[in-house]
Amino acid sequence: MKKVIALTTAMLMGSVFAANATTVVVAMKGPGSGNPFWAAVQAGAEAKGKELGVNVVVVAPPEESDIQGQINLVEDQLAKKIDALAIAPTDPNALKPVVDEAIKQGVGVVFIDTKGINEGVTFIGTNNEVGAKLGADYICKNVPKGSEVAILQGIITQSTGKARADGAHNELTACGMNVVAEQPADWDTGKAQSATENILTGHPKLAAIFASNDNMALGAVQAVKAANMAGKVTIVGFDANPNAAAAVLAGDMAATVAQAPKNIGAFGVENALKVKKGEKIDPVIDTGTVLVTKENAKDYK
Amino acid sequence: MTESSSEAISRRFEVGRVVERYGIIGVVIIMALLLYALQPEYFFSIQNVTNILRQIALNALLAIGMFLVILTAGIDLSVGSVLALAMMSLTMANADGVAWPIVVLIGPLVGIACGAVNGLGLTLLRLPHPFIMTLGTLNVARGLTNLISGGRPISGLYREVRYLGAGQIPVPGLGEFGAIPVSAVVILLAYVGIAYFLNRTSIGRHIFAIGGNPQAARVSGINVDRMLVLVYTLCGFFAGLAALLLAGRTDSGFPNAGIGAELDAIAAVIIGGASFFGGRGTVLGVFAGVLIMGLLRNGLNLMDVSVFWQQLLIGLIIILAVYIDVLRRRAAVRT
Repeated sequence: MKKVIALTTAMLMGSVFAANATTVVVAMKGPGSGNPFWAAVQAGAEAKGKELGVNVVVVAPPEESDIQGQINLVEDQLAKKIDALAIAPTDPNALKPVVDEAIKQGVGVVFIDTKGINEGVTFIGTNNEVGAKLGADYICKNVPKGSEVAILQGIITQSTGKARADGAHNELTACGMNVVAEQPADWDTGKAQSATENILTGHPKLAAIFASNDNMALGAVQAVKAANMAGKVTIVGFDANPNAAAAVLAGDMAATVAQAPKNIGAFGVENALKVKKGEKIDPVIDTGTVLVTKENAKDYK
Repeated sequence: MTESSSEAISRRFEVGRVVERYGIIGVVIIMALLLYALQPEYFFSIQNVTNILRQIALNALLAIGMFLVILTAGIDLSVGSVLALAMMSLTMANADGVAWPIVVLIGPLVGIACGAVNGLGLTLLRLPHPFIMTLGTLNVARGLTNLISGGRPISGLYREVRYLGAGQIPVPGLGEFGAIPVSAVVILLAYVGIAYFLNRTSIGRHIFAIGGNPQAARVSGINVDRMLVLVYTLCGFFAGLAALLLAGRTDSGFPNAGIGAELDAIAAVIIGGASFFGGRGTVLGVFAGVLIMGLLRNGLNLMDVSVFWQQLLIGLIIILAVYIDVLRRRAAVRT
């Protein structure tokens, strides 16, 4: 019984202390456990919180599809009179009302990773167009000018899919490549494999493929191997998944593009606090991208 | 047997019945007090109480429909997908400029149509178990949702369409957050209505009879098939109504809505003490089941406890609730 009382007292006191400190809530799309991307966002946010001496609370629904779950989590945090909120909306439309509510309550709000639709809220995340250009630039530098190249697109109606496809297209055409095919494969490995098979049939001299994510790049790897063209086609992906990093080390893929999720978390906390204090910040803050090749791929495995 | 001892037995029996009927409300109260003790600053704040009321609305509507189905010893796995289909149908109509009174009707009507398909499919095709029919419609409705919407969310609804899900009835003198969510009123009406329907109408009593003993119900002249179609249609209606509320709350429609929602609804019904084998349960119990799940999630969120602990605890509570039911029935057999 004593233990229970002690524990309860500790919890009560804990909540009182927590109420005194400045609290920043980081609302992620999915949990950090099991997903290295969100784990890194969380680590970056918590480290920044420690550095600034503020209380960082990281919340996430059990799955990225659990939109209602994320709304409830944010509402419950708002009831605790938090100071700032860095949120990656599971669905920008559905989260709009609760983000409006937060702003109405005077909470400093920024979007991280995924841009919401609330006006005037800063977006902090990867500039996908710049990242795609970085990947495409690798092809420009390693493949002879005028070669036939192909782009595998993600879901083009999503902003990420469009930004990556556009970035790659612009860079490849600007450096004088002959873009012979641009096909959507919906982020999917199987669809990318089929699409690449078809592209290779029509363009047996294909020299390079830019895939808008690693899953599609890995599908392209399978198709190239099946066509006995391994080593002849330079394949570049995006995301720097552990699987893709392994493929880069094995020489199946040439390169991939890494986002900087730790920055997303850290910049999110820092800037949400700035908004709370009334400081002016840029409407879009790029957290940067890194080219991953054989030299640094082991850091991403 | 002396008079006094039989009196004692009947009194004990009375007490037992009261505990059986209302004991679950005691559980809810104890839980609320415990959460209050852990979060004294926030738990009973007006903002948090309205949060809880808004958050349970979705599961409350799905659970009351599910309760009717489970009373007949059935199950409806399709409610989450039906919710998504109704939600996308009504938000797409809204986006196309259809007049708001029609948009508001579309949600419930799509739900009714899907529920009727479940009920008719079940009874006309003579499928062996509702699990199979509704597992089918779970996939059909989700597929249709993605087909009609192209998998894309839609945002921005008429104010009138949002009223049930996002409207507030201000309560003077309670400050900034002092307002009753309209969705809470919808829930109250739905529960009172269904309680009346089940306990005060002959059709309602027939539903209990079907679940208790379908053969006997048939022999006694109840049209079991017609009852089943009615029950599944009602369940679909509540899923459609839930869609209207969720669309209003989020000011949007998204094709991923309601994934796994059927399991929450089933859990609430079971935690609320209804028998999975039909014929037994109360509307009050279902409401308590919804509240227990809602309070637990809200309280753990306030304490910043990971959502994985919430899943784990809700799982344990389901098992515990059914085990208590088993013990209770064993005790009842003995006396």
